Amino acid sequence: MNISASLRYYWNVEIVGKNFLRWQRWRAERNPRVPSKWRTDILAPPLRIGARTKELIAMHYLEGRYVSGHRPVAWVTSGGPVEILQALGYYVLYPENHGALCGTRRVVVDIASEAENSGYSRDICSYARTDIGAMLSGKTPVGKLPKPDLLLACTNICQTVLYWYRVLAHHFDVPLVLIDTPFVYTEASEHDIEYVKRQLEDSVEVAERVARRKLQYRKLKEVLKLSKDAAELWLEIMWRGKNRPAPISVFDQFIHMAPIVEMRGERVTVDFYAAMLKEVDERIARGIGAVRNERKRLLWDNLPIWYRLRYLAEYLGERGISVVASTYTNAWGELAPMMDPDRPFESMARTYIYPILNRGTGSKLETMRRMIEEYHLDGAILHSDRSCKPYSIGQVDQRNRLIREYGVPALLLEADHDDPRAYAEEQVASRLAAFVEMLEV
Amino acid sequence: MPRIPRRTEVISEFKSGGGKVAAVLPIHYSRGLLRSFGILPVEVWGPPRVDVSYGGAHLQPYVCSIVHNALSFLKTGGLDIVDFILVPHACDSLQGLGSILLDFVRPKQPVFPLYLPRGTRGEDVDFLAEEFRSLYDSLSELTGKRPSEEEMLECIRREEKADSVLAELHERRSNLDLDNMEFYRLIRSREFLPAEVFMEIASKVLETATDRERGGIPILLSGIVPEPMDVLNVLDGLGAIVVADDMACCGRRLYPAGLGEDPFVRAAERIVHAPPDPTLGSPIGERLEHILSLAEKRGARGVIFYDVKFCEPELFDLPNLRKGLKDAGLPSVTVEVDINDDLPHQTITRIGAFLEVIE
Repeated sequence: MNISASLRYYWNVEIVGKNFLRWQRWRAERNPRVPSKWRTDILAPPLRIGARTKELIAMHYLEGRYVSGHRPVAWVTSGGPVEILQALGYYVLYPENHGALCGTRRVVVDIASEAENSGYSRDICSYARTDIGAMLSGKTPVGKLPKPDLLLACTNICQTVLYWYRVLAHHFDVPLVLIDTPFVYTEASEHDIEYVKRQLEDSVEVAERVARRKLQYRKLKEVLKLSKDAAELWLEIMWRGKNRPAPISVFDQFIHMAPIVEMRGERVTVDFYAAMLKEVDERIARGIGAVRNERKRLLWDNLPIWYRLRYLAEYLGERGISVVASTYTNAWGELAPMMDPDRPFESMARTYIYPILNRGTGSKLETMRRMIEEYHLDGAILHSDRSCKPYSIGQVDQRNRLIREYGVPALLLEADHDDPRAYAEEQVASRLAAFVEMLEV
Repeated sequence: MPRIPRRTEVISEFKSGGGKVAAVLPIHYSRGLLRSFGILPVEVWGPPRVDVSYGGAHLQPYVCSIVHNALSFLKTGGLDIVDFILVPHACDSLQGLGSILLDFVRPKQPVFPLYLPRGTRGEDVDFLAEEFRSLYDSLSELTGKRPSEEEMLECIRREEKADSVLAELHERRSNLDLDNMEFYRLIRSREFLPAEVFMEIASKVLETATDRERGGIPILLSGIVPEPMDVLNVLDGLGAIVVADDMACCGRRLYPAGLGEDPFVRAAERIVHAPPDPTLGSPIGERLEHILSLAEKRGARGVIFYDVKFCEPELFDLPNLRKGLKDAGLPSVTVEVDINDDLPHQTITRIGAFLEVIE
């Protein structure tokens, strides 16, 4: 720890930043305003918790701006086992979340071009291109990203993250911890679990060395408990979508999922989702639906199209369609019951091997079928995401099975989660129009 | 050059001798383990130029042509002759293919996936050894055989010997009077010939090696697979000789001999300690060092990266590899292909211009 860096951190983050952001939130909560272009005729007003989401995210990136030298910094893949790092006091940055933020702010083309101009193909994942572009150029909508002291790549979401993190390791010349999670074609074997457990145990030594402190097992259990609590609350929130009308849509979930992805294991995240659940329950009590005139309910499969969230919410909302559940947001909660703070390494190994992206195509279809049944859905939109092969391969058959075997209308929508150049608005609109017609809204 | 039997001949002959045949997708697996069950592995790298509409019924257009073609080949009956399909986990696309084969396509033959670890740590070797044990059980069920440890070790050692002969072919490539097409036909016959047959042919070729170096512009070829193989004719026509190879189907599988006496561990060690390969998680620095040292040892004056479109493992490394090569004074060029397409004239011109520069 560097004293001048710490002083800078305390002044900018703890004293000025935190109080300013708190004041900003307090102001927004006292005078809740609906954005001028918000279609209140078809959608419920934004959740009040949004002010807190903004505060949390802004605070997270503000911390990142001043954290170097004050705390060790780790860059981690979104499905990575972050608890060990949290327990060691790391500031954790998720490049994918930063990529998503760039997507919603529509700056991906500008930043990704920096990577493309340096030779990175447009055929690689747009999150990776955005991150590498930010790394090479320093461009980011959040001011500044801290340099990592440690990288942690977990292959439970894709192999792409390993190729990507090898690029980061080469550039920053810092240790790369790999947690390799064998793909679960049907069921994870005992040697799969043992393999992941051993890697988790071995990662402690590297993380301790970089952080220059010892891992306290009591602290690890505490962090794991907080992770579990937050994930369970998130799951509860999503389950509220089973109500008619659904109090929140997946578009709300996409916006409010940031803390469960990048702040797992923190007390503030548990408090945040407890407050969000309360607000969602209030909506249910008052009969408020995310879509004012909910007539049909859909499932969303795969990552969001970050730069067209509002467009899709309005297009569908206008037609009385509420997209109430998503396999993607569900992934951040569905494994919560598997976490066991009393057996941290073994339960982390089991939990982190089973995310939907690390399961077979049949298991994913089964998850969709179950969600369609539990949430009483009328159809599904499968976003065929050019940038996410592990999520997208299998969707052609999944769509066909949903239609043929379960009688569920399903649409395959070609796009990219972050890069608008792989998105054709007219084509999307005409496919959606045909699908809506089929739903007989 | 001695005649190399055709794939179909080899398969028929092996089957008529009571053996079984496995279709094996790219990239890494243990030939020795399969052979100990009397199974001949025949690799499926595409193949090029099949009717891809069959694969397109299951896969999106942004999935690479190797995966598209493999599925199309299967669906058009190209793999009817094999007894099972082995799908090693090389990348997200092959993972997806393995998964849809198991869950949706369900070919008439059994499909066995094989997960490959992405590191060189002790746990990676142990894990892969366990994967091989699981595969052993599946193969036992399929064939009704349970080869002993000695039998397995014997087969693994035979493959090690075949790989050392293959390595010698690479080493002495410049002294062999073979053009690029002939050389690659020879080394790629390892993809389907039994080790003993391959060694016999390769040894005969090695006997013809002289001290005289074959002329041509010496280059290193890197990438996944030199398909369509016409590219080799193009290189021949342009006066280039591939003196060093870093292709996934060739040079990246020059496995070192294992050390362990446990056959599963020995087979695992070989793959875990293979030459640097992005699909095995090798650091970019190691890859760069490996390519530079290969080029230096064999006298390559330039590097051609010949990659299949949409191949992420290759695409992520290219900028750093090319920069590192440039810094070391070794020029490079990248060529991206769909294995179903003819090599466009524009690409041939680019390769030609590149060769002129390095000449």
